[in-house]
Amino acid sequence: MTRVERYLVPRTIAEAAGGLRDGNVTIFAGGTDLMPQSKSGKAKFGTCLMNIRRIGELRGIKRTASGFSIGALTTITDLRDSPEIKVGFPALWRASDHFASDQIRNAATIGGNLANASPAGDTLVPLLVFDARVVLVSRPNGALQTRTIPMTEFLVGPGKTSRRPDELLTAVEMDAPPPGFTSRFFKFGTRPALDISTISIGLGAVRDGEKLRNVRVAIGAAAPTPIRAPHVEEALEGKVVDGATIAAAVSAADCDIRPISDLRASEWYRHELVHNMLERMLSDVGHG
Amino acid sequence: MNVREKASGDTLIGKRIPKMDAPQKASGKTRYVHDINLPGQLHAKILRSAHAHAGIRSIDVSQARSLRGVHAVITAQDLPFQRPIGVAKDHLPLKRDRVRSLRDEIAAVAADTEEIAEAALKLIRVDYEPLPVVATAEDALRPGAPALHGEDLVCVNRNGTTEVVHRAAPGNVAMTFDYSQGDIARGETESDAIVEDVFWLHYVTHCCMGVSGVIAEFDSNGNLTLYSNSQVPFLHRREFGELLGMDPGRIRIIQPPIGGGFGSKLDIYPFEPIAIYLAQITQRPVKLVFTREEEFLASPTRQPVLLKMRSGCTKDGILTFRDVETVHDNGAYTSWGATTPFVMMQTISSLYRVPNCNYQTRAIYSNNPYAGSFRGYGNLQATFAVEAHMDRLAESIGMDPLDFRLKNAQDPGEVTPQGMNFRTCGFKDCLRIAAERSDYQRKHRDNVARWRDPDPIKRGVGMASMLHVGGGAKIYQSDGCGTILKLDDFAHVTLITGASEIGQGSETVLAQLVCEELGLPLSSVTVVNNDTDVTPWDVGVHASRTTFIAGNSAIGAARKAKDKILAAAAVKFDGKADEYDLKGGIVVDRRTGNGLIEIDKLIRSLHFSEKAELVMTTFYYEPPSQHQDKKFKGDVSAAYAWATQVVEVEVDTRTGIVRLLKVNAAHDVGRVINRLGIEGQIEGGIVMGQGYALTEDLIVDHAVVRNPNFRDYKLVTAPEIPEMDVSFIETMDGEGPQGAKGVGEAPAICVAAAVANAIYNATGVRITALPFTPERVYRALRGQAKPPVWDVGS
Ligand SMILES: Cc1cc2nc3c(=O)[nH]c(=O)nc-3n(C[C@H](O)[C@H](O)[C@H](O)COP(=O)(O)OP(=O)(O)OC[C@H]3O[C@@H](n4cnc5c(N)ncnc54)[C@H](O)[C@@H]3O)c2cc1C
Repeated sequence: MTRVERYLVPRTIAEAAGGLRDGNVTIFAGGTDLMPQSKSGKAKFGTCLMNIRRIGELRGIKRTASGFSIGALTTITDLRDSPEIKVGFPALWRASDHFASDQIRNAATIGGNLANASPAGDTLVPLLVFDARVVLVSRPNGALQTRTIPMTEFLVGPGKTSRRPDELLTAVEMDAPPPGFTSRFFKFGTRPALDISTISIGLGAVRDGEKLRNVRVAIGAAAPTPIRAPHVEEALEGKVVDGATIAAAVSAADCDIRPISDLRASEWYRHELVHNMLERMLSDVGHG
Repeated sequence: MNVREKASGDTLIGKRIPKMDAPQKASGKTRYVHDINLPGQLHAKILRSAHAHAGIRSIDVSQARSLRGVHAVITAQDLPFQRPIGVAKDHLPLKRDRVRSLRDEIAAVAADTEEIAEAALKLIRVDYEPLPVVATAEDALRPGAPALHGEDLVCVNRNGTTEVVHRAAPGNVAMTFDYSQGDIARGETESDAIVEDVFWLHYVTHCCMGVSGVIAEFDSNGNLTLYSNSQVPFLHRREFGELLGMDPGRIRIIQPPIGGGFGSKLDIYPFEPIAIYLAQITQRPVKLVFTREEEFLASPTRQPVLLKMRSGCTKDGILTFRDVETVHDNGAYTSWGATTPFVMMQTISSLYRVPNCNYQTRAIYSNNPYAGSFRGYGNLQATFAVEAHMDRLAESIGMDPLDFRLKNAQDPGEVTPQGMNFRTCGFKDCLRIAAERSDYQRKHRDNVARWRDPDPIKRGVGMASMLHVGGGAKIYQSDGCGTILKLDDFAHVTLITGASEIGQGSETVLAQLVCEELGLPLSSVTVVNNDTDVTPWDVGVHASRTTFIAGNSAIGAARKAKDKILAAAAVKFDGKADEYDLKGGIVVDRRTGNGLIEIDKLIRSLHFSEKAELVMTTFYYEPPSQHQDKKFKGDVSAAYAWATQVVEVEVDTRTGIVRLLKVNAAHDVGRVINRLGIEGQIEGGIVMGQGYALTEDLIVDHAVVRNPNFRDYKLVTAPEIPEMDVSFIETMDGEGPQGAKGVGEAPAICVAAAVANAIYNATGVRITALPFTPERVYRALRGQAKPPVWDVGS
């Protein structure tokens, strides 16, 4: 058992990034992943524990030249209460609405959801749909360095990201979607509240008459990380959403997903759910 | 005990009365065992096994002992006179040379803080010799399987002699039950339709909001006080006495308000003697409270059951026979779960009239968690199978399932082959009312007609009924309860009852029954029910018995007090006692209704008179029920409760998710005493049954509990709770307090059975294994399910 020897409470990003340089630091945001994980022995605290909750500049949703930047400490409740998110990024809003319970949403942060990199992390799926970029800040030798990488590069495996131990995740950025872009999110859990996704699907596209353009599909809990589903996207791009298109898109999903069996569901059932729920979502799109 | 009818304005019976403890609980002021801290108290933690099955070569506690703040570290070695606990006395609190499950206790620490105790556990070195794990009853029954209790358990007595306290159980058979009535072969030949299935009833656990905990303290005279969540303080006092080799009279059990019982606190578990040993060794109060994970891993489960059933009927819809065999996975040790056949066989033999019936159970040791008692006590499992077959038989002879049930349902006055005497029985009313209020028959037909309909969302209705003891159960020497009652100078009543309150609302009902007799408002009663040094004997909270048994006892004491007051009135007003009555705190003239004197004034005049008397009475109520004989026959309860529930579900065939939309419940409760209380009891029970049916699943995989947390062990959450329509059938039981019967367990019993029938009605697919989680249902709908098989010989 490692003992926590130091406890840091930085007030600024620069201070936090400085503290991370020493290595073996555990960042603590809402603690809603960290606490259960450390209790069950899945996660071990480093020798230094850093509470980032006091870094004011990490919280909030800001407009940028190209879209929005969401601070790492923005809570799921903040997302759910945000009119900008509700109107501009409905898939993300829905993910935050179907996230855990009030108590957890009040504590859980988007940065924690990203850094935890669970294949079932609910905000990750819509963030993939919105081509989001993750902002990482470090301070290797006194000066702050910023790295901005796309979600698909950030997520490496279950619980694994390309964040270096000396980097702080400060924000996630999204461009305003193209005009006419609409998005949806569907989460399958076994109950309406307080459930981890068995699978989830994010869907976004621009409607061009009968056809779909700029199609983006992301799937959660069906591969080592939440993924974009390029084969499904290809099957839909530029197509009229009719029975044949839906059938093609659904069977294309098999090329994109690699689900596993765990406590929540078997591989087979996850396959079936992705098929059936994708079909249902696409039929809804087709009808309206 | 006879019903007294009064004009409705005058009576408290049947009114909606908030529970007396509600304001304290709702405002967070109730002090549970967790909130109690005694001066000088130490905190205890238990080291559990790292293997489901292993020999223990050695245990090294030296480092743990030398950790600062540690006061004691104990293992079996430190307790030469340890004695076993549990129903079969096969379970030593601290294990000696072998562990048989992951919950097994190896060592325990008492320290200044929980954190230090926790740290000390990590310093204990145990050298294990892993043994092959017996993960299922099927494994345990295989030839050559390791015998988990293959040797006699020998204990050393305090006088140095040795004693075999538990005999070796070769072949891993912990217990067997064998019941029969009539002649199965004859029943088979008379049958026009026969159905057979194998059912699997899974593991669930109680999930009490308050986790297990105890504080043990010895005073300087060596007397032991336990602050305990026990449901059966008087029996446990005796058992602790035996364990400790001490006079039970010197053991006092105080029950702080208990955060849920549901049967889980009906047995002694290792943590309790362990806390006592630590208190004895350290001579300090020792507190031991489980974490939630520990509660999942080391508190009992509902009994899992593999059940094979064959049933038949004639083409006219008369049941001919029922043949049942079960294997109960007993887990590593024997607690109450092994004895659930007592209840299961009642349902199998007597819920419906079935002339020929066999029932056999083998409880088989494995390295799994062990099962205890749990609200319903085997009845959920038995009812699940029986009611599936009622639907299947009805279908196979082309009869409406309600009509089929009505043809075979019990009537009042029936004495069953098992010896149960149904003096009151509202079963047929339950069936008719639940069916009528849910429009069961029409919906049932319409849903079947929609099986081939393209809509992926299907609807189904399902019906199931239950029979359960409603007037106590004579399992022990006595099924009684004592009451001491005093009225003080201000006519304030202290009702001292042996009956424990575990959240079921008994103190409110008992106060109500007493006030009804004494013509006093509820505010004038204090109930004392939690201290064995004060309260008279009671057998414990189980078998839905408290309102019935403790209620009759309280009424008995109240009537004696009333007699005394009326006798005093007779003297004072120069009349006869039966010319007076008590009403609204006043002695009234029965004929004129005129008030004569305030009760408190009359009591004072009795107290401060020449005769100088107080109003104090006692009563002990023993129900007129019988012990079962060796063949399990006998009228074991003073009354029997009945219910029918019709559920309506929606099945999404694309995901397998089943939503419970509505429950129409009709319960023969004898009589409603506290309407608010009984509604709460029924609604809560239905939700518990819903969890059993749909969401709760303690996943035990190779003897490991995989989901010891509320994220993965899914209790029903608020938005899933269905609409409920509850009807009370008041059969006015002649023996019941004001006509009431027990109802505590009843509402949880038939939900799963009804949901199974509803899923079938929605989809045409019969699922014989619980729970109906989305994946299980989806697999069944796609023909991908592996139905349970009988792979355990006979
Ligand atoms: C009851 C319950 C229900 C849940 N339900 C859901 C659900 O429905 N959907 C879902 O997606 N998740 C759910 N979760 C998981 C969890 O709430 C989320 O993943 C949450 O977003 C984590 O955020 P946090 O701030 O609590 O992270 P923390 O627990 O504080 O941290 C999580 C991880 O991220 C690291 N970290 C945090 N912030 C940063 C940062 N700024 N830079 C670098 N590293 C960082 C931490 O070191 C840690 O490894 C649930 C959890 C619980 C306990």
